[in-house]
Amino acid sequence: MKKRLYLELENCIGCRSCLAACTQCGGHEERNRNYVYDVNPLVNRQTMPLMCLHCVNPACARSCPAQAIQIHETGAVLSALVEKCIGCQNCTIACPYGIPKFDTEQNLMYKCDLCIDRTKDGSPPMCASVCPSNTLQWLTDEEIEAKQKQFNLDNGKWVTSMPYLEGETNVRVNLPGILQGVTKLF
Amino acid sequence: MTDKNNKIPFDEDNYTHNINRNNERKLDRRGFMKTLVGAAGVFAVSSLPWGAVAAKELVGLGVKKYPKQKIVDVKAISVGDAVDFHFPGEHDSAILIRLSENKYVAYQNACTHLRCPVFWQKEEGDLLCTCHHGKFDVETGAPTAGPPRRPLPEIYVKVENDTVYAVGVKRYEA
Repeated sequence: MKKRLYLELENCIGCRSCLAACTQCGGHEERNRNYVYDVNPLVNRQTMPLMCLHCVNPACARSCPAQAIQIHETGAVLSALVEKCIGCQNCTIACPYGIPKFDTEQNLMYKCDLCIDRTKDGSPPMCASVCPSNTLQWLTDEEIEAKQKQFNLDNGKWVTSMPYLEGETNVRVNLPGILQGVTKLF
Repeated sequence: MTDKNNKIPFDEDNYTHNINRNNERKLDRRGFMKTLVGAAGVFAVSSLPWGAVAAKELVGLGVKKYPKQKIVDVKAISVGDAVDFHFPGEHDSAILIRLSENKYVAYQNACTHLRCPVFWQKEEGDLLCTCHHGKFDVETGAPTAGPPRRPLPEIYVKVENDTVYAVGVKRYEA
């Protein structure tokens, strides 16, 4: 029963629960690894969460000279292995979404690993389990299919941005009509 | 748009570039280096006994003590003469030479070339091995001519009560 993280961005209310949850997730060492952005800063109050999209072909892992970023069998792109990471920050530059964060004190990269110790056993990542507005959801592919029927997509493909920057991702994103130019049916 | 390279992952099951968790190697480059350093450490530690042996030798803890042994009375050997004796064991033949009134030298007289006996040549003033004409310096026991390359082992002598005693064997370094 493979489940995916599904982002329904227009639900976001900007409560930052996902950041707090990420901070408290086991193995995250009190550091949150995701982001909450203002979509149109100073124009309106719409916010959107952004965490690692777990690319099928991750630019960060490709760019890593030490192969410190590994792809888990579930498809999650893991945070840098502490024993391998050399702190070169290639991944922070390579990632088109600006996901990897860099700890200058430890000289290590850290990023969202989809709470791998939870998701490998089927429980949702911490951010999705606390999101009060269903912006972050943990769904099977069938459930995502059902959600997809509510939207008109220009090419029927689910990609993180259109035209897409990077390629297929393991995290499914519902792009708000503002960005996409299509209207939500209901 | 459609010619993007998103047909991934490529086949990357190799040593030099692998980003799949499940293809993690038992022995990666870092593990190899650790093994290398670990082996070097093991070798370093395992050489310590030899260091201890060497230190023991250099400090002088390994010096064997032999009971002092009478060689000859002073009256029985005149200056420039030599006398054969056996020290420390009964099969270790040695030679004592009286160089001056108070100077005695003694060497184990098996030639360091092929163990022939070494004789004292009073006229030439050197030690001669007659087998292949090897010569040794009488002051130091160092080889001066012929095939031998190593010095004769020196024996410490001491004069007490008009008697010459062999008291020990000098640590042999060659």
